[in-house]
Amino acid sequence: MSKPTPTQIDPRGPRFGAAITSLLLLVTVWLGLDATTQDAAFGLLVAITALFAIGAIFGNSRHPYGWLFKMFVRPRLSAPKELEDPRPPQFAQAVGLFVAAIGILLQLAGVEYGVAYAAGAAFIAAFLNAAFAYCLGCQIYLGLKRVGVIR
Amino acid sequence: MPLETKLIALAILVLVATAAGIFWRVNTGKAHRVRSGEQVQLARLEATKDGSAVKAFGKRATFVQFSSEVCSQCRTTARILGEYETKHKDVLHLEVDVTDKLDLAAHFNVLQTPTTLVLDGAGRVRARIGGTPKHGAIQEALESLEIR
Repeated sequence: MSKPTPTQIDPRGPRFGAAITSLLLLVTVWLGLDATTQDAAFGLLVAITALFAIGAIFGNSRHPYGWLFKMFVRPRLSAPKELEDPRPPQFAQAVGLFVAAIGILLQLAGVEYGVAYAAGAAFIAAFLNAAFAYCLGCQIYLGLKRVGVIR
Repeated sequence: MPLETKLIALAILVLVATAAGIFWRVNTGKAHRVRSGEQVQLARLEATKDGSAVKAFGKRATFVQFSSEVCSQCRTTARILGEYETKHKDVLHLEVDVTDKLDLAAHFNVLQTPTTLVLDGAGRVRARIGGTPKHGAIQEALESLEIR
């Protein structure tokens, strides 16, 4: 409250991005379940990880999905009821980055279905966000701070 | 892996996620009664309202909303509780950012934000709402206060 609040964003933007992300993650799980398509799954997960990194570092408004939303989706929608702080979705992107990176590490360590497990976990979070407006930051940020995982 | 197994795995994943979402939606924002009735020390909250320190509880009830900086639902909750406060003059809404007050968060066992404590006129905790309050949850909590 005492800290300056960053420019507010349309809350439907991050949810639109989460919908695309959850679809891509579902495809990743599918490909990751088969030995013949493991490499494709890994490649897709690397791409998703890179996208999470963009979202975590630069925020949703400078993310490719944020741009897609602004160019093609937002003009077709009515004005949002309420604007939203950009920091919660940015935090969610950081969590996504963490989980996706674990998938990459599991694959490199030779763990069977490692990519599918990580993509599946990330899918649940992205899907909850897209379909139910679930706010990951609301649920875990304070808890992580309290146990000292983040400062 | 056979096609059928992959399809089943994917279906289970989507079903688990959907079930989790429905479970969360059903349970979030409900008012739960607090029986211990802890007396809140107003000074400890270091709550401010329109720039000045808050010195007294609301005559009938006080909503203490714990928020954090990474919380999209806190704004919605502040609006809902603020509107209720405007309509009912004997009710006070306080928002406390616990991002940097972890001892306070630990004391009231706040794990998610927003978490709202509903206090009676004497400042005792009587109910607790996790998440954005559901429609009617505030009214329900206040009515249950008046039973006693």
